[in-house]
Amino acid sequence: MEMTTKQERKFFTITEYDREQEYLSKRHKEGWKFTAVTGYGMYHFEQCEPEDVVYQLDYNIEGNINHEEYTRMFEDCGWEYITTYVGYAYFRKPVADMKEEEEIFFDDSSKLEMMQRIFKGRMIPMFIVFFLYLFWQYLIGYFFEGLFFKVIAVLLGITMTIYILVTVHFGIKYLGHLRRIKK
Amino acid sequence: MDAHIKKVYVPMTETGFYILLCLQVPNHGYGVVQMVEKMTDGEIRLSPGTMYGSLSKMEKDKLIQFVREEEKRKLYVITELGMEVLQMEKARIKRLYRNSTEVL
Repeated sequence: MEMTTKQERKFFTITEYDREQEYLSKRHKEGWKFTAVTGYGMYHFEQCEPEDVVYQLDYNIEGNINHEEYTRMFEDCGWEYITTYVGYAYFRKPVADMKEEEEIFFDDSSKLEMMQRIFKGRMIPMFIVFFLYLFWQYLIGYFFEGLFFKVIAVLLGITMTIYILVTVHFGIKYLGHLRRIKK
Repeated sequence: MDAHIKKVYVPMTETGFYILLCLQVPNHGYGVVQMVEKMTDGEIRLSPGTMYGSLSKMEKDKLIQFVREEEKRKLYVITELGMEVLQMEKARIKRLYRNSTEVL
């Protein structure tokens, strides 16, 4: 029997993992089981029995490096490993297998630690892009001329703006989370 | 003891406490999850994301150390420093308990 599959393009910024989790749960409830995400936000699904399933994303570079040992711990705890995409590992667990509501993070402080890992992992590329932009502008000013170099400068500028927006968005979210914990 | 270690680990999270408590005998993360579930009559089920993060952090801070690998599971054991932190935390909890049972 041939498997029915579908693809859907959907964009989540690096900080919107909770919205992404909800999206995947919703699709599974509609009978579409998530299999992979590729390229620029192309989500792959295959048809399945509709089911209540909790999806969770973890950002842990160390876990990605020690992949087998890392996923083993999740599988031991009943979380199926699905795939990894831009540093995020995707897991799921059917609600039927839970005694009560379950997440891969037990407390707020470990959730906060994951946010710190994302921040560190994304800040460095942001600074690289930022300096590339400045450097390129400098080169254009002194040595290069022509449309080609201007186009690259504009692309770098756009990338930098996106990075800055995402970072600000993340900063607001992080502070909100911190405030909730402190209460 | 390092001021940083004291600041980060005393008081510590429930997960952190159970990790140190259970790793007085070499064990892996999932082993700790199972032990805690048994110890608390199924009331506390530690989560893998938290467990993985805590184990790597505690290993970096030298509260626990890697022993060996068994079937893709890393076994750890508590270090002397970890033992010190555990004793401090136990004393803190005892004090809390004592104060909570004294009638004001």
